[in-house]
Amino acid sequence: MAFLELTNVSKVFGQTAAVQDFNLNVERGEFVSFLGPSGCGKTTTLRMIAGFELPTTGTVIINGNDVTFKPPQKRNTGMVFQAYALFPNMNVAENIGFGLKIARKPKDEIKKRVEEVLAIIKMDSFGNRYPYQLSGGQQQRVALARALAIQPQVLLLDEPLSALDAKIRVSLRQEIRAIQQKLGITTVYVTHDQEEALSLSDRVVVMNNAKIEQVGTPFEIYNFPNTEFTAQFVGTLNHISATVRDVANGVLAIDSQQVVTAQKLEGVSNGTAVTVSIRPERISFAEDGRKPNVLNIKVENITFLGSIVRVQVRAGDNLFLMDTFNNPFLKLPEIGDTVEITFSKEAVLVLKNGS
Amino acid sequence: MKRSTLFPWILIFLGFLYFFLPLIGTLDFSLRLVKDQITLEAYKNVLTSARFQNTFTYSFVMALWTILAGTLLITPTAYWVHLKLPHLRPLIEFVTLLTYVVPAIILVFGIIRVYSRPPLSILESELGADFLLVMGYVAMSLPAMYRSVDTGLRAMDVRTLTEAAQSLGAGWRTILAAVIFPNLRIALLSGAFITFAMVIGEFTIATFLARPAFGPYMANLGQTRPYESTALTIISLSLTWACIGVMQFLGRGTQGQIQVTR
Repeated sequence: MAFLELTNVSKVFGQTAAVQDFNLNVERGEFVSFLGPSGCGKTTTLRMIAGFELPTTGTVIINGNDVTFKPPQKRNTGMVFQAYALFPNMNVAENIGFGLKIARKPKDEIKKRVEEVLAIIKMDSFGNRYPYQLSGGQQQRVALARALAIQPQVLLLDEPLSALDAKIRVSLRQEIRAIQQKLGITTVYVTHDQEEALSLSDRVVVMNNAKIEQVGTPFEIYNFPNTEFTAQFVGTLNHISATVRDVANGVLAIDSQQVVTAQKLEGVSNGTAVTVSIRPERISFAEDGRKPNVLNIKVENITFLGSIVRVQVRAGDNLFLMDTFNNPFLKLPEIGDTVEITFSKEAVLVLKNGS
Repeated sequence: MKRSTLFPWILIFLGFLYFFLPLIGTLDFSLRLVKDQITLEAYKNVLTSARFQNTFTYSFVMALWTILAGTLLITPTAYWVHLKLPHLRPLIEFVTLLTYVVPAIILVFGIIRVYSRPPLSILESELGADFLLVMGYVAMSLPAMYRSVDTGLRAMDVRTLTEAAQSLGAGWRTILAAVIFPNLRIALLSGAFITFAMVIGEFTIATFLARPAFGPYMANLGQTRPYESTALTIISLSLTWACIGVMQFLGRGTQGQIQVTR
């Protein structure tokens, strides 16, 4: 039995279905992220786990207990909000100790636990400060400590890093993951940032239009997207028009140039127009070594993005991107040059509902 | 350049004259009880008067009860409306504004009519009359109290703070007592101050309910003893300013504590 079970959960607001038929099992100590665009239902699902929303149908079970109709204060879930939600009238120590005080823990125990979690978030000396005396990143760490102090069964984080600047976001997310692994706490994390979801999670739940699109490890989600939405939403994806030439052998034509896919072609016949998807980073210049697929293309544009260089290329009417790692000895073609690019059979995906 | 810096100073000076000249005149008059002398005799007469002390103490106590009752009525109501019934906000605002539309004289006659005959004849006892006076004042203070609390609630993310407290195990009473009330301190003080000023000077309800309040005493004094009456005006103003000072003192250090969210 999973530690957190969501079975046939749905939520309807008026005429709008916010979440539909949501089924998910989360194991004890697992870190699961809900990833999707705004309005896809990820926060609503999290709020149903927390008890802030009542599911229209379905059940929420935590550690074997059906908590579907339990109020939030009876669920022992720690919640971290995007807006920090620290109590402005309390200092850091009082904020962290709030839940323990509610639970009527002895003063000594509260003090000890507060010191422990302050040490975990590396803010030992900040106990007497007020929220307004802290930076956004510090406030969010305190919010995390406050949620951890009550030793919740499930830690819920609702876009906790969205209000922070890029650098702090990266360092804090590493910190969150390290703390989660150290404490072995079951965690559900909501984000619309794919990098965050992929870098933090054991598993990612990709959501769209109130439904689950795909559940998988970050590796599976990125490399083997099941649906066009997942492929498009996670990472950058090229869409290239092609024609099926040989269904049996997976042969396609892009701008009359032959390419082969490792994917088994189903539901199409020779001559069918399809759209294939290739990740930019899976394409390289052919001079680096030839793979089964080689295309002649014209270089349209070159953009430096720091660690990578993004090259826009054209093959007939198809305009698409390729990424190559930047290094000081990189020899790039000039804009307007015609060069060969190459990619593996496995890189060519004909999406389930994409053609 | 010179003209542009001089002009605001002229405006400030004119403003100063507008606000303080009448006050200076009142102060000057209050000091002339004895002919051709500057004296504090009028102040001495007022401050040593037993009626002043009794009526002021009575109104002061009534003001505290009004503030307490108003706070306990308005804060949970406004909080609940913010949290659960935001669509009712215009209706609640309208209701709280009714006391501007219904004059105090109508209110007090309504009170007398309802509560001076069975089955609710509580006006006959002193305690009952005091209770009704406080209730009348609560009704009159609704616009100020509600607006203050409403503004305070708008300045904080009520929903998220509530949910954060709930997720930590807090029930409604704890949330109100430990999270909402403390963060509304300035808003409540502001509403309390306006209520205090209103109750101290209130005349109509106190007069018709025959209560020994400060408002009727001031009015009575104004008709019979002009020097003492102006001295009383200055004393009232001083007390008002002292209240503002206390409010600012109690509210010190809270600037910036309310989070700006979402």
